[in-house]
Amino acid sequence: MDATPRGLKILTWITVGLFALASYAVLVYAPREAVMGDVQRVFYFHVAAGWVGALAFLVAVIVGIAYLITKQRRWDTVGLASIEIGVVFTLINIVTGSVWARPIWNTWWTWDPRLVTATVMELVYVAYLMLRQGIDDPDRRARFGAVYAIIGFLSVPLTFLSIRIFRTIHPVVIGSNDPGAEGTFDMTAKMFQAFMFSLVTFTFIYATLLWHRIRLQHLADRVEQEKVRLLAG
Amino acid sequence: MLLQTAPADTTSYMLIGFALIFGAIGLYVLSLYVRSRNLKKDLAVLAEVEPRREGG
Repeated sequence: MDATPRGLKILTWITVGLFALASYAVLVYAPREAVMGDVQRVFYFHVAAGWVGALAFLVAVIVGIAYLITKQRRWDTVGLASIEIGVVFTLINIVTGSVWARPIWNTWWTWDPRLVTATVMELVYVAYLMLRQGIDDPDRRARFGAVYAIIGFLSVPLTFLSIRIFRTIHPVVIGSNDPGAEGTFDMTAKMFQAFMFSLVTFTFIYATLLWHRIRLQHLADRVEQEKVRLLAG
Repeated sequence: MLLQTAPADTTSYMLIGFALIFGAIGLYVLSLYVRSRNLKKDLAVLAEVEPRREGG
């Protein structure tokens, strides 16, 4: 593989710096929440991870449409990379939500609409990664990936809206809260700053990982082409 | 948490949460590194095989 581009090196170091600052912001700068205590600090990265998941799946839709229009394989590469990252961060979102829920709701898991829709969304995209493996023809695989990413995205707004349209105990960060929500809190100015900084930082993490993952896929494609060329020759 | 005056002691859950976050991101970065290293090895092996085949 070619040497790492200078832009990627700079982006990677900026992201590492931002992540260190964001960790300081949520662990030290933001005050301890008056009722829930320290576990509330997980909220900042929990929401940011969920945001990266949704963003990654949205990018997969955009590049999926781009692939169907142009038939250029590079869009499929971006879609695959984006969904893989989305799956990792959605998993972080679900697991950290469970850790937060244990002391606040007194359970690791409950069949709440938000938890169920988020898990279904995660499984939809895990299935995408598994099903891709079963298709040998690259063009067919790319076409399948594009269509699946577009249809699978229906699970994202459903997850986002689940706490607004169903009766739920999950808190709503932005907008009005369900009276039955448990674990709600009012953000102070410092909490809000830490929250916004976490969102920006995780967006940088996504962009950095996406670039690295795309380069990895290019390398994998090159190895595959070399193998085919050797076998054909 | 009714009539509670001090924040609940939930530090251990916070530590578990952040360990999972840092651990998951770290593992993913490690997986990217390992996959990249393995592919580079494959590419090197393929480059070695080719001249041998040409040489008969």
